[in-house]
Amino acid sequence: MTSIIEVKHLTKRYRTATALDDVSLALDEGKIYGLLGRNGAGKTTLMSILTAQNFATSGHVRVFGEDPYENARVLGRLCFVRENQKYPERATPPQAFRTASYFYPNWNQRLAERLVEEFQLPTDRPIQRLSRGQLSAVGIVIALAARADVTFFDEPYLGLDAVARQVFYDRLIEDYAESPRTIVLSSHLIDEVANLLEHVIVLDRGRVVIDAAADDIRGSAFNVVGDATAVAAFAVGKQVLRKQTLGNVTSVVLKGQMSESDKVRLARSGVEVAPVSLQQFIVSSAAQPDRGDAWGTDGPPAKVEARQLVRNGGAR
Amino acid sequence: MVDDSKALFLQIAERVEDSIVDGSLAEDSQAPSTNELAAFYRINPATAAKGIALLVDKGVLHKRRGIGMFVAPGARRALIEERRAAFASTYLEPLAAEARKLGIDVDELIQLLKERFSERTKA
Amino acid sequence: MTRVTNVMRLQLMNRQSYVIVPLLVLGGAALLALAIFLLVPYDGPKYAVMAAAAPLWAFLVVGVQALTLSFPFSQALGATRRDFHLGTLLTAAMTSAMLAIIYLAISLVEKATNGWGLNGYFSTPGLDGDAPLAAFASYFVLAMLCFLVGYWSAAVIKRWGTVVLISALVGVAIALTVASLLLVRFGAMQAVAEWAVAQGALGLDAWGLLLVVVLAATSFLTLRRITQ
Repeated sequence: MTSIIEVKHLTKRYRTATALDDVSLALDEGKIYGLLGRNGAGKTTLMSILTAQNFATSGHVRVFGEDPYENARVLGRLCFVRENQKYPERATPPQAFRTASYFYPNWNQRLAERLVEEFQLPTDRPIQRLSRGQLSAVGIVIALAARADVTFFDEPYLGLDAVARQVFYDRLIEDYAESPRTIVLSSHLIDEVANLLEHVIVLDRGRVVIDAAADDIRGSAFNVVGDATAVAAFAVGKQVLRKQTLGNVTSVVLKGQMSESDKVRLARSGVEVAPVSLQQFIVSSAAQPDRGDAWGTDGPPAKVEARQLVRNGGAR
Repeated sequence: MVDDSKALFLQIAERVEDSIVDGSLAEDSQAPSTNELAAFYRINPATAAKGIALLVDKGVLHKRRGIGMFVAPGARRALIEERRAAFASTYLEPLAAEARKLGIDVDELIQLLKERFSERTKA
Repeated sequence: MTRVTNVMRLQLMNRQSYVIVPLLVLGGAALLALAIFLLVPYDGPKYAVMAAAAPLWAFLVVGVQALTLSFPFSQALGATRRDFHLGTLLTAAMTSAMLAIIYLAISLVEKATNGWGLNGYFSTPGLDGDAPLAAFASYFVLAMLCFLVGYWSAAVIKRWGTVVLISALVGVAIALTVASLLLVRFGAMQAVAEWAVAQGALGLDAWGLLLVVVLAATSFLTLRRITQ
């Protein structure tokens, strides 16, 4: 796998805050990446720096092996439609699409037209008079039809209704299958996009907290709910990501796979096992304030004592 | 649809296996392509490809050069046997646990099962 | 070169702003001027210089919008700042030339019709049908200067914010005022006026072009590090 984007110890500091803190990443060619995290986690800042629209305080970035700043060779292969992208306002969507097509040799006009139809985009109205959702649709049309080697989507679906969002996801998969390229999709709607992603990067307060293949994350944790004592007994020796109690009932999110013997034990003791979605996993991982290490690196997992669980679980 | 309890590619593989077991995907017929699976389940094509690769490794599917993936002869029988072997732990353990919780004893359980089976053969 | 022409096409997406609005302003101002010529009961030459200048102010706004509306879109499409700058300036030059040609045409018509038969002139003496090259060059240079002032101001705002721009403009105003006061104080105003006259219209245009180049350079340096 060739790394086409390399980020090494990237830090971005503003006077009052640190937007990115020692971020290091390597993005491979041809994968769909999810860049996830809460608002303000640093996702947009990262993408802006990768496309030379913002500058690092320290550390460096290489796209296709080169510094992207003022580098036409590199920048011409990128497309970045922002969350609140500004367009020449008095132009109509078709004019914007035609202009975009000049910049991208692989522009897919048929896809653009199809998307305009599916999003029901008005074609005779100037962009400044479009609704928020229609504005997002314009951005999606451009970013998808451009077929750039690396496409960045920054929360592309704001204002789109559920049907339109699904159109976006479906066309994204379809066009990606037809014309594979690197896609970076930033989102805070994790569950909706989870199945589209091949690799997941999660930022929290400017730091990378998860950087792993989506398939590795799925099924890597599970939610065990039941009687406090039984759950505590089961959780011994396993890494607890999150614990909640309600009376005598404890719910824990445990990291690790479930073995056959686990399954048997659980079935017998009447404890329920529920799947943990990508969103729950990410939320649970971020809940620990000192969790600075990226998931997937080795590091001693915190093992939980049964006593500790029961004590905190409010045994009556 | 697909859920999060286990890796997506495993679920995709299972779905394809399901359709082989229930007969909707016949042996020697062409399996759905990676892109078709991706579009249908709305998942990343690479994930779908992983699921297919798993089935190829397992011998359930084989590749015919230049054409695509086909269901291997004997795959259905092999899958049924595999599932029979896991039947007890997958279905019977939870069944027994729930029955115990509700105070349903073995004889009652057998009676219930008999009723279900005769219903199904009638229908 | 294709990249630069792509930026020009991007700018001309706003054909309305670049071309139509200045023309409308010019047309409207001309009509207004003609109306005044008709109404004023004076047979001597009448000049409506402000009307001729109106499109120039519109062009200043065009300069602002060339940056505020088109720069972000060009960045989304992967254009470098250099290509954006060159493409935008070329578009501005094209449009300035177009406006200058129209002004020249008006000047020539006025000369031929003795001020539209009303002895009323849109064009300025010295920059009229009698001095066509000066007319064209001066209008062109003034248009470019107006564009660049708008363009550069917008770049400053985007990079450092409005406060910095206002401070800079105030600073420039103060510097010019102080310079003028000093010139008057030392009785040098006369010398400056004589020098200007000696340069002639074309000479001043050359100095104007120099200023255009300087503004083009400073605005590029400013927009090189705009962040979004």
